[in-house]
Amino acid sequence: MKKQKSLARFITFCIVPATLLFFIFMVYPTIAVFRMAFFERGAYSPTETFVGVENFKVLLSDPRFIRSAQNTIFLIVFVTIFTFVFALFFAGVLTKEKIFGTNFFRIIFYIPNILSVVVISGVFSAIYDNKNGLFNSLLSVLSSRQVSVLWKSEENVVLSITIAMVWQAIGYYMVMYMASMSSIPVSLYESAGLDGANRAVQFFKITIPLIWTNIRTTLTFFIISTINMAFLFVKAMTAGGPNGASEVVLSFMYSQKDAGLYGYSMAAGVVIFLFSFALSALVNRITKRDALQF
Amino acid sequence: MFKRILSVILSVLLITTLFASCGKKEEQKRILKVAALSSGYEETKPGMWKEICDAFTRKTGIETQLTLEKNLEDVIGSSMQGGDYPDVVLLATGREAGLTEQFIQDKNLVELTDVLNMQIPGEDVKVSEKLAGGFTESVATNPYGDGKTYLMPMFYSPCGLFYNQGLFKQKGWEVPKTWDQMWELGEKAKKEGIALFTYPTTGYFDSFCFALMYAVGGPEFFDKATNYEQGVWETNDGKTFIDIMAKLASYTNKKTPSQANDQDFSKNQLMVMQNEALFMPNGTWVVGEMADAVAAEGFEWGMTALPAVKEGGDAYSYTWMEQIWIPKGAKNAADAKTFISYMYSDEAAKIFAERNAVQPIKDISKILSEDNKLFYSIYDGGAKAAIGNFAAYKATAGLGTPADYFFAPINSLVSGNITKEQYVKDIITATDKMRENLIKK
Repeated sequence: MKKQKSLARFITFCIVPATLLFFIFMVYPTIAVFRMAFFERGAYSPTETFVGVENFKVLLSDPRFIRSAQNTIFLIVFVTIFTFVFALFFAGVLTKEKIFGTNFFRIIFYIPNILSVVVISGVFSAIYDNKNGLFNSLLSVLSSRQVSVLWKSEENVVLSITIAMVWQAIGYYMVMYMASMSSIPVSLYESAGLDGANRAVQFFKITIPLIWTNIRTTLTFFIISTINMAFLFVKAMTAGGPNGASEVVLSFMYSQKDAGLYGYSMAAGVVIFLFSFALSALVNRITKRDALQF
Repeated sequence: MFKRILSVILSVLLITTLFASCGKKEEQKRILKVAALSSGYEETKPGMWKEICDAFTRKTGIETQLTLEKNLEDVIGSSMQGGDYPDVVLLATGREAGLTEQFIQDKNLVELTDVLNMQIPGEDVKVSEKLAGGFTESVATNPYGDGKTYLMPMFYSPCGLFYNQGLFKQKGWEVPKTWDQMWELGEKAKKEGIALFTYPTTGYFDSFCFALMYAVGGPEFFDKATNYEQGVWETNDGKTFIDIMAKLASYTNKKTPSQANDQDFSKNQLMVMQNEALFMPNGTWVVGEMADAVAAEGFEWGMTALPAVKEGGDAYSYTWMEQIWIPKGAKNAADAKTFISYMYSDEAAKIFAERNAVQPIKDISKILSEDNKLFYSIYDGGAKAAIGNFAAYKATAGLGTPADYFFAPINSLVSGNITKEQYVKDIITATDKMRENLIKK
């Protein structure tokens, strides 16, 4: 009995620091965000006025916020689709096919993930260069005429950010898929092969169902990380320009803070919070399947 | 037993270290906390602010503690939210983070009118006697228009249109004196495949627009426009302003908007050096910034004021300046004022001038470098000095900054995504709201 009590005390002591930290740096700020969204105040002034849901009303009719939300949703959808397809494809090829230099490609694909976003935006600034950029040069060679696409113009800028984000994310998800793919027993593929299933059928009927739990987890990752990474990419590559064409929700939120509207920016934070929560829950629900085991 | 004691000790340690950093006591010694933006001047020859602080301590005996950062807003911003304020801040308005603007909007600044009557440490003149004329009369230093000074002027730089003198000599072109001549030149240049205009980012339009407002309708129109007066954009002057902006956008190099961001703006500046565009609005710092770039043959920097609107009208050049101010939360405001008055001493001006940072004091031209003498002589050549800024208004949800309506849409004007009518319509809608929220005297 005494031993149990002391064990309980020991556990309490162990848990307290982490719990405290969690409350101070996670729970309290989150609650504060929700509270501040109903007030208007500058970042540096101690006075605040209660404005009720006024911030949310203005926010939902603010054309800048709507535009940034559209961009964010565009990025979530397209970055997820392309990264998912490419990562899955490369993971499948690198685990199942015997090609020369598998490890080499694994490293090459992973490198963008360890680069800082600022470096990536520097790299893409060169790639998107109008005169000597990689893309325009490549297109010029392929079409054998001088192509001069303005990659960061109002029309193309979101697409350009999508490309950079996909390029950056593929390696990370590829490694995650490879990890679970390589644990699938080879015998399954061998017997399927004897039954006449070709590689594509094997991929869709064996590989995908068996790594489904993994795929579900990564889908949630996609949503959260696209919202976060889009902010970094936009900040470093375009600062939201030209004329707000590449603004995303988090950069909108950040710029409102700079305009002295702390409460308004927190209201945007609340909307983003609820949106990403709801979307993750939705994705989680519609991808629910009975887990298969081998 | 031993294990148990150890575990208790460890967890106590963990908890106490949590709070360790919070409890550090400020030393009671009289220390002046200086926060300054580490800008291009500091890069030219590092150690500028360190030298200033040391020289100040030698002169007055007041110890200083310097925070010098490129991202000053991020560094002091969070500590100020926690109640820890620097005593004196060098940070201009017009920066992206808008920290200085927020302090103005919140009336969070210490009044500095009395600094003008303070004696400069080590000299027997007052600050006001040393300051060059006109620098403490605009909203840039007196943000509420009530004659009281809240921000003191620092490093100033004439802004204007920068161009390649070599190209003009080579082609035998004249630098336009009026906007009509400007458009003629635009047509001539178009035939040679050169665009008339480019800009680094739309942020650079502040100096341009303010000077243009002066050129269009003098100080009167400038005051009306920057105070968001009703109907100002329907007057003749207002229409002329918008017309010039829109026409200029049509003469702008089409590549400009896609490069008008913090990452690629130097590519736009390079256009002028490589004869892809003739003019761009900029400040004297561009010379140092682009020193390593590869320019076209015969390239030579030139700078001109904004052309006059009519033959015989006034040409204007905007005077860009930084500001130094004291937040209300400063614990040591008295010493901070002494520090500010020291900024105008010959000693300090000399340390600044070594990095091409020019203080707005009389007789400064004596200590300027040759390059700078040329640029700073723009006002001797007949151009008038334009000074000022948009009037401060209470931050309002959904409204944004004047830059969002006056400058940023120029990108869309150039690419043709909005029309002139849309541009002016948005300005009118926004300025109507700004006027309602003006911070009253």
